[in-house]
Amino acid sequence: MSGTVIALLGAALAVILPGIGSALGVGLVGQAAAGVVTEDPDKFGQTLLLQALPGTQGIYGLLTGFLIMQRIGVIGGNLLDLTTGQGLAVLMAAAPIALVGLLSAIYQGQAAAAGVGLIAKRPEELGKAIIYAVMVETYAVLSLLASIMLLFGLSL
Amino acid sequence: MAIAEMKKVFLLAHRQEREKIIALLQRLGTMEINDVTAGRAWEEMEALMEPGQAAADLADTEARLAEARYCLDFLQRYFPVRKGLLEQFTGGKIALSSTEFSRCGEQREQMHGIYLSCREAEEKLTALRTERTRLQAALNELKPWAGFPLPLEEIADTKRVRLSLLAIPVNQMPSLQEALAEKAPAVMLEEVSRDRDQAYCFLLCLAEDEAVVGLLLKDAGANPVSFPGLKGTAAQNIAALEEKEAALQREEEAVLDGIKELLGERERLMAYYDYLERERAQKAIGENFAQTGSSFLVEGWVPAGALPDLEQSLLKESKTAVLVARDPLPEENVPILLQNRGLAEPYEVVTKMYGYPHQNELDPTALLAPFFFFCFGICFSDAGYGVVLALLSYFLSRKLKLAGMGRQLLQLLFMGGISSAFFGVLFGSWFGDLIPIKPLWFNPMEDPMRMLIFSFGFGIVQIYCGMAIKAYRSIKEGKVLDALFDQGGWYLFLTGLMLLLLPQARAAGQWMAIAGAAVLILTQGRSQKNPVKRFFSGLLSLYNVTGFLSDVLSYSRLLALGLATGVIAVALNSMGGLLPKGVVGFILLVLFLSGGHLFNLVISGLGSYVHTSRLQYIEYFGKFFEGGGKAFRPFALNTRYVQVEEEERPVKDVA
Repeated sequence: MSGTVIALLGAALAVILPGIGSALGVGLVGQAAAGVVTEDPDKFGQTLLLQALPGTQGIYGLLTGFLIMQRIGVIGGNLLDLTTGQGLAVLMAAAPIALVGLLSAIYQGQAAAAGVGLIAKRPEELGKAIIYAVMVETYAVLSLLASIMLLFGLSL
Repeated sequence: MAIAEMKKVFLLAHRQEREKIIALLQRLGTMEINDVTAGRAWEEMEALMEPGQAAADLADTEARLAEARYCLDFLQRYFPVRKGLLEQFTGGKIALSSTEFSRCGEQREQMHGIYLSCREAEEKLTALRTERTRLQAALNELKPWAGFPLPLEEIADTKRVRLSLLAIPVNQMPSLQEALAEKAPAVMLEEVSRDRDQAYCFLLCLAEDEAVVGLLLKDAGANPVSFPGLKGTAAQNIAALEEKEAALQREEEAVLDGIKELLGERERLMAYYDYLERERAQKAIGENFAQTGSSFLVEGWVPAGALPDLEQSLLKESKTAVLVARDPLPEENVPILLQNRGLAEPYEVVTKMYGYPHQNELDPTALLAPFFFFCFGICFSDAGYGVVLALLSYFLSRKLKLAGMGRQLLQLLFMGGISSAFFGVLFGSWFGDLIPIKPLWFNPMEDPMRMLIFSFGFGIVQIYCGMAIKAYRSIKEGKVLDALFDQGGWYLFLTGLMLLLLPQARAAGQWMAIAGAAVLILTQGRSQKNPVKRFFSGLLSLYNVTGFLSDVLSYSRLLALGLATGVIAVALNSMGGLLPKGVVGFILLVLFLSGGHLFNLVISGLGSYVHTSRLQYIEYFGKFFEGGGKAFRPFALNTRYVQVEEEERPVKDVA
């Protein structure tokens, strides 16, 4: 297997796994939010804000995938011919956001769904509900950082 | 930068002036009223006074309030008004002058009339809808027989012949027909119609076959159908019922049209509701008072700054009121009102979202304001987005004329926009790389390590500031040694450790770290009596260096979020570059880029806001702030639908 294909696998996983996680997380919050909005349609805006939070992992994954595509020349026209070692290095660079993105999005979705329950009873506490969800996102941000630093650091 | 100074206030006046004084207090909206009988002084007063009561006609106001609520809910149910997405956050209100507002109470009987019409309309609608449901059920039963030519009253047994209508499961039909042909050949089974599950059949058989046929039908799961009391064919009955239903529908529409006429009253109902709510609050507040035969006593909190105004208003409008104010006692739970001026004021939103400071604490608002300002800018870090955000929030605050937290949030975003534009210029990011302008400082995408070190540096400055504030508080409370041992020791130790990383300062760093560690080991266990335990708690406290490390590392999100904003923008631009050239391509490009960048602006803006808040709450507040204070909630006009203008409100909205 040529290194380029392994690198492409890295790009694909970086997009796929956090994307799945975000889809699950956002879906979970959406279910909780729809229940609350049945009772009080005016809470749509607030719940939408909470629903958006577990969506960021998908964006971080896409961003990493995009960076990989740029580094190996999928975007820009001249595809680099990588060695197997280089390809594996790119795959490893994608691993942090791919794995942490997947899991943190799901757990962040659970925290945000609980936050929806919180603002159903106390709409003034939206800020606290958001912070609980953001505590989870920290680890997605850190793994994104690791992935980006690895990609910038690789010599291809 | 401050928590407003509060005074405990006692107000004594003649009972004749009770209503006037309550109205005055509510209009000024500067006093939080507490239950006198829950206070400390009550034990002494109990002999002289009895607990106050709500006004006698409170129940009347509450009943009218419930009526207005009912009308508004009723209208909302049949003709909903949808709030826009923006209004859900801001709550658009009807503007009324204070004279207009005070006239809302004059229409009680008229409003009661509206209530009665709403009730009547709803009762009619319910009755009509029940009737329609009944008709529809009957229609559904009749419809399968529409093609059956015999009048329904003629489906009856004769001496020799048995007639019946049957609903038979579709899957049983073939086997039933076979069995009938075999065992009772004289039977006629004619299918009138069928749906997904059932076949609707007309059956004719001889009286002597009845037992055999009945058994076969039972095995097939057939259900006899009958229409007692109906005359004429099924089709005639259906036509009659449909006509009836249409008549009911017309009647329902007429009632709905009647409700539509009431819609014109919706705004007046809303104003009336708020008026009654004000009246209810005035009548109910008396429960917190204490009273004698001819006087009453109010206890509460007033911000020191609003006290002269309250005194003068009382002097002007009352002949008997006596106001006594004193400083809070140490054991009293003082309500907290944040009072910040100028640039720091919008950041009260951030503090309030976390919770109010405890009464003996500093208000952290002004202390977090500069850090929030810069953090947000570094996270968002795009000059183009910054300018758009600043303009957007400026125009929104112009257009919406919000009060309280909504206004503060827009101001906060405006300043965030300015900060982002500033860092965007430093880092050379204008909608990503859409407008190529050289960075004033450096481009983090080309040199992320430098940006990472800058982020950590920023974090260290903020964390050191947090520790300094804690030290300041300890010194102010007279615990100078605490400040010296705790914060002083840590400053020495951490700074020393960091200097170890620099080759030029390694020697100095080594000694500083050792001295700091010594101070910490010797002092951190000082609450322990046993010297051995004291030494080991001191030693263990050095482990807290990991807490400092994780706090600093947490600031790497400044780099990560900045890169995320930038990389998404760059990705949008290069995807835009793939679009075909030419006029159509250019139009597509403009649409794609404006939509895409708007999306990035919202998503990255939200991310920057929440992560910046987190840095304040966890990394910064953790060093010095406890919170847990009780918000100041003055007795004031609280409206749900109307915005009363020209109202004197010297104390800021504490909503």
